[in-house]
Amino acid sequence: MTRVYSESKVKHLTRRGALGAGLAALAAPAVLRAETAPIKLGLIHPVTGALAFSGSQCRAGAQAAIADINAAGGIASMGGAKVEAMLGDAQGRPEIAASLVDQMAEGGAHAFVGCFASALGLAATQAAAKYNLPFSIDSGLVDSLTTRGLGNVFRLFPNASSVSADAMTALDTINKKAGSPAKSAVIVHEDSEFGTSSAKLTAAVLPKIGIEVKELIAHATPTRDFTNVALRIKSEKPDLVIISDYQNEYVLLARTLVQQRVDLVGTYSVAGGGFNLKFAKEQPTIAEGMMDFNHWYAPKNPRGIAFRKRIEDAGLTLTWEILFGYFAVQLLADGWSRAGSAGKEPTIAALNSSTFADHWMPYGPTKFTNGQNSGAHAVALQIQGGDMHVVWPDSFADTPAIFPRAKT
Amino acid sequence: MIRIIIAIVALLPFAVGSPFLVNLAMLTAVSAFLGQCWNISGGFGGLTSFGHAAFFGIGAYVVAILQIRFGLSPWLGLPAAFLLGGGVGLAIGFASFRAGLRGSYFALVTLAFAEVFRVLANSLDITGAGLGMQIRRQPGLITFQFVDGRLIYAAALALLALATLCAWHLRRSRFGAQLAAVRESEDAAAALGIGVVRTKSLALGLSGGLTALGGVLYAQTYLYIDPSIAFGSARSVEMLLVAMIGGAGTIWGPLLGALVLHVIADGARVFIDTPGAAPMLYGVLLLVVIWLLPGGIASLKLRRAHA
Repeated sequence: MTRVYSESKVKHLTRRGALGAGLAALAAPAVLRAETAPIKLGLIHPVTGALAFSGSQCRAGAQAAIADINAAGGIASMGGAKVEAMLGDAQGRPEIAASLVDQMAEGGAHAFVGCFASALGLAATQAAAKYNLPFSIDSGLVDSLTTRGLGNVFRLFPNASSVSADAMTALDTINKKAGSPAKSAVIVHEDSEFGTSSAKLTAAVLPKIGIEVKELIAHATPTRDFTNVALRIKSEKPDLVIISDYQNEYVLLARTLVQQRVDLVGTYSVAGGGFNLKFAKEQPTIAEGMMDFNHWYAPKNPRGIAFRKRIEDAGLTLTWEILFGYFAVQLLADGWSRAGSAGKEPTIAALNSSTFADHWMPYGPTKFTNGQNSGAHAVALQIQGGDMHVVWPDSFADTPAIFPRAKT
Repeated sequence: MIRIIIAIVALLPFAVGSPFLVNLAMLTAVSAFLGQCWNISGGFGGLTSFGHAAFFGIGAYVVAILQIRFGLSPWLGLPAAFLLGGGVGLAIGFASFRAGLRGSYFALVTLAFAEVFRVLANSLDITGAGLGMQIRRQPGLITFQFVDGRLIYAAALALLALATLCAWHLRRSRFGAQLAAVRESEDAAAALGIGVVRTKSLALGLSGGLTALGGVLYAQTYLYIDPSIAFGSARSVEMLLVAMIGGAGTIWGPLLGALVLHVIADGARVFIDTPGAAPMLYGVLLLVVIWLLPGGIASLKLRRAHA
């Protein structure tokens, strides 16, 4: 099934509105659609199950990009070809993600965007490689997504190694600038691939920047009570708590740390699942001063500011997943524009030599090495006054870090 | 007649040449195979297990570890997984049945064992802990990695045939008769001189060994496993659901169950793209099937035979 949104629709996009617009597009007579053959783009995300929120956000971002491309007249070098979305729910299961690739490839998909989680991305990119169809990764940090020798896979965004290394550089800079108040840390992480890999990398680097790791505490997802974890942290008396968790556990742990009056210089997370605008606005007292190293737009870029307003006006919360979905599609559109074709070989060749710069992420023009954009970097964020601010690197920061955080 | 229909349905994907249909057929065949494995102990032996994912995960991790840590051929993973899965099944069975556990207590123990394996896989370095294990992509017969979905489907069909053959043999063999006797009445079976603990443990061992082969196929197809994928409870539930819906304790039940469940699940997924609608429809239809056919779909045939 396909859905095409007009620019005006997306500007006022709500979930219900999106459904209505989709149905209207389906019901519209064929004559209203583009005269040139549309480019079919498979969007594969987990929109039900445990990862539904993030998957839906990725999908919303991708759909907004498609709406923008079509509203701007489609792909000019292809006679104004419009982009059509093919929607797939991977349900958090790798085998379904791979099956969706087959289904969409048979339905005429020219390329894919997905899949939020690394496990889904690994299965789906491998399936797309059978057809040599371009695959633009919108999330999924694991390095091997682009190091397995699959020539059809491209990631505009940073990988796990880059995020971890930059995260420690940022923490070190912020800590030293404040006179090194943080000398010890406890790492709390969820026990799957995401949390474990992040925790291991962080634990290896922290001693090198003068921060002793007192303990690593792993927990399952879901975990519904963090009282014991908070008490363990309290007994260790660390300066920092470093968190690698998904949405619900992140928020719950943050709340429990405050409830148990754990005295900290600060909290820092690497790609913290619950660190977002919703958390900042709904729980401002708990969130105030928390820091995260994550993906975000360049906050001083006027287009970025306008995009955030547009998403919020549509009733959605801007998260990095929306940005990733949006620019994963824009990257492909740039490839089609350069290639003048949606054919797989020309598109892949165009992406390999891409210098895509029409974005408001804190990156320069793209430079792909084995499918990974080597110029991509995440930023350090802090919640201040109920809003998220970039506090590192200085070139993109819109406010300085408050470190140590103010006592609550 | 049913055999001919099933054979035609099974071979149809090879003829139509659609990778998507082949993939759906492969997923259905794998489900049917895992359901049949569960059926061997759960259906024929009455050993209701909620933790068969333990055996599936063992198979997946054995083949991944042999390749990644020891550089051994994945083909060795098949016998190794069968032996280890079977051995663990025997051990769990012997420990549980010797302690007199049965019914819901046994079901809970199997669930606990699966969780223990998940936690172990999440903690040990050899399993890659929470990072999981990624098998290097090297398509080829020697590496047991197939790009052509028809070959993966053929492998799934071969496993399904093997498990169905085992089920068929159980219906006719002395051991199968002993297993049925134990299922109906352990006291009566013991009075006839049947070793109850031995019979039940062997059934669980056979079922565990076969289930582990499914894990090998999964790992070699998707080349990535983590503790939740390998030992997650959803896998156990799917296995028992396939057997229960199709008809536990019948030879064709798991095949029919897998076919119906996949037609419902994949059909809903293909034709409905409203988030959540497909799983919801799947749940509703499942309730309808359970309500109308408590003995499973295969009971339709039995009813007709009795009529």
